[in-house]
Amino acid sequence: MLTKVQSERFFIGSIMLAFAALIMATVGIKPQLFQNLQFLILLVSLLLVIWIGFKAGKFEIITNRLRIRAMGWLIAATFSAALWSFAQKSTQLLFPALKEFRKIWNTFEPFALFATVVCILFALLLFIVGSRDSKLERPGFIERSLVNNLSSKIAALPMVLTAVGVFVIATLWTVYHSFTNSRMLPKSEFIGFAQYERLWSSDRWYMSIENLAIYGICSLIFSLFIGFMLAALLDQKTRFENTFRTIFLYPFALSFIVTGLVWQWILNPDYGVEKIVRSLGFESFVFNPLYDIDIVIYGILVAGLWQGTGFIMCLMLAGLRGIDQEIWKAARVDGIPMWKTYIQIVIPMMRPVFITTLVIIAAGIIKVYDLVVAQTSGGPGISSEVPAKYVYDYMFSAQNLGQGFAASTMMLVSVLIVLIPFAYLEYGRRKHA
Amino acid sequence: MPNLSLTQNHEDPRGPKPRKILSRRNIILYGTLIFVAIYYLIPLYVMIVTSLKGMPEIRLGNIFSPPIEVTFEPWVKAWAQACTGLNCDGLSRGFWNSVKITIPSVFVSIAIASINGYALANWRFKGANLFFTILIFGAFIPYQIMIYPLVILLRDLGLYTKLPGLIIIHTIFGMPILTLLFRNYFTTIPEELFKAARVDGAGFWGIYFRVMMPMSLPIFAVAIVLQVTGIWNDFLFGVIYTKPANYPMTVQLNNIVNSVQGVKEYNVNMAATLLTGLVPLAIYFISGKLFVRGIAAGAVKG
Repeated sequence: MLTKVQSERFFIGSIMLAFAALIMATVGIKPQLFQNLQFLILLVSLLLVIWIGFKAGKFEIITNRLRIRAMGWLIAATFSAALWSFAQKSTQLLFPALKEFRKIWNTFEPFALFATVVCILFALLLFIVGSRDSKLERPGFIERSLVNNLSSKIAALPMVLTAVGVFVIATLWTVYHSFTNSRMLPKSEFIGFAQYERLWSSDRWYMSIENLAIYGICSLIFSLFIGFMLAALLDQKTRFENTFRTIFLYPFALSFIVTGLVWQWILNPDYGVEKIVRSLGFESFVFNPLYDIDIVIYGILVAGLWQGTGFIMCLMLAGLRGIDQEIWKAARVDGIPMWKTYIQIVIPMMRPVFITTLVIIAAGIIKVYDLVVAQTSGGPGISSEVPAKYVYDYMFSAQNLGQGFAASTMMLVSVLIVLIPFAYLEYGRRKHA
Repeated sequence: MPNLSLTQNHEDPRGPKPRKILSRRNIILYGTLIFVAIYYLIPLYVMIVTSLKGMPEIRLGNIFSPPIEVTFEPWVKAWAQACTGLNCDGLSRGFWNSVKITIPSVFVSIAIASINGYALANWRFKGANLFFTILIFGAFIPYQIMIYPLVILLRDLGLYTKLPGLIIIHTIFGMPILTLLFRNYFTTIPEELFKAARVDGAGFWGIYFRVMMPMSLPIFAVAIVLQVTGIWNDFLFGVIYTKPANYPMTVQLNNIVNSVQGVKEYNVNMAATLLTGLVPLAIYFISGKLFVRGIAAGAVKG
């Protein structure tokens, strides 16, 4: 006679095997000897569960306290069975409308059959656990994870799938494939650091990095400075504060494409700023950043700052409002001038706001892509390329996936360099608080 | 106001010390603010002015001068005739594509994220925090590293270059910020309400639809503003996950303005740019504080 714990362990083991088989089937690994090993394993686990049920002695489905939950799993099984059947030729003959979506059905087909069996296994197990009710002291591990708070777990499924399926697996996938020789299509043959060597010996990548560094440093300094100044000016019990704030923030509602195109027009040497200053009498005035390879990145910076500083100002303003007003009174009583109060008291107090803002700006800088595409398309020549554009071009235009993967991995690394210390600080602060 | 303070002189002085309107401090303060405000408004002004001029006037005048002869022809042309490659049906197609992308994406992403946030705030389960941390971390990872696996996934599903595929993408990448938004909001709702509903026999979905959702309409409004502007302004996903017939407005705008062939019609370009910016601008000016709340919510915890 098996104890409850033992039977649960057996069951978990067989479910694990079933999942291993599922992954094997999805990835496409087929063992040489047993072509249908997965199904064999599933069959074994099914028999095992039935045997556990038999050992349990009785099946009282009518009085079973878990039968509603078990029905839920059976319904899930029906759904996935339906999904599987949609992919079958005979069903598609019966309902021709299904044929239009056959790509979707075909994708889910291998998965659906397994899911059906696994769901039936879950249901069976719940019946068994429920029928052994009198012998249970407290809900076991399986019952806890399959029954308790189940709606919440199902509701959080999209989040789990996104977090693990996209953010983790997709990232790892790309990082792995940056070590391969993928060109048109991704290959899985490992070739070491060759892609990275190529990347770091490419002029275009160096240009991208240099541009990103200039753009990043300047935009960090200027947007923090301007944003803070504007916020401080608006915090002087200023009249029309709302109007000013609305004006400073409206560019943030516009897309980078719109921003880039407007500034492309304003900086146009034939019609824009340069022409106007020349028509004022300064004939030799030269200001055409978008056509000068040395300063083109500053032309982009101007547009980027115009778009983003309003947002920084808002963050800073929120930070300033969070500061105790008594401090101002105290400073005034002590006769400290206002600028000194800002530098020596207020800014140190706003440290968390500054750190958060810094991380937000930094994460935004590395993604900069649309602005460059709209304003200069990377030109003249390669003088305004940025890493994000490098990645896109190599993945989708140059058909050189490996380079794109390597470049995007470098982007990831640089973000992690910023992010990990921040997360550490943040986590540490919360722990102490 | 000096006059006002004179009439109240018989009472104890209260409120801040009355100041002259033209004090040196005020001149510097408002002078700077107005100067910066003008700088911020110039691009909008230039866009409007240029889009109302004819081409000959643009060639002769400067970009800041107001139009001598107001013409709406560039607007009509940008909407209905501007060319991208071989297609010459203007921005209207992009506009309707963007509408078709934005509405379902906003709806789906908010529905999923709000339920997620609710599960995280009120029905915690083991391991929930781990997934949530990964999710928030994912918001900072450059999209570029996740783009290609998603292309493969959508291609396998047969949704690559189709609108439903793009909707899935927007749902995925909108999830971190929206989930954070909803989770933070739902945790501020008093727990007693939740407990009372449970005592009355409401389950997971019952509490969500009857208690939580009606109580959190403001946060739904914030989320809608956030998502509509975000998805409307998106360029990267639009250009990767759709084909030319389905290009959203931003992508089409870029193709119209930056196309190399033909004579550049700056007035049409600016009209097209303004048309594309009109939707988010309208939302921004109508929603006002909600917009600020939305973007600040993203910044609360990083």
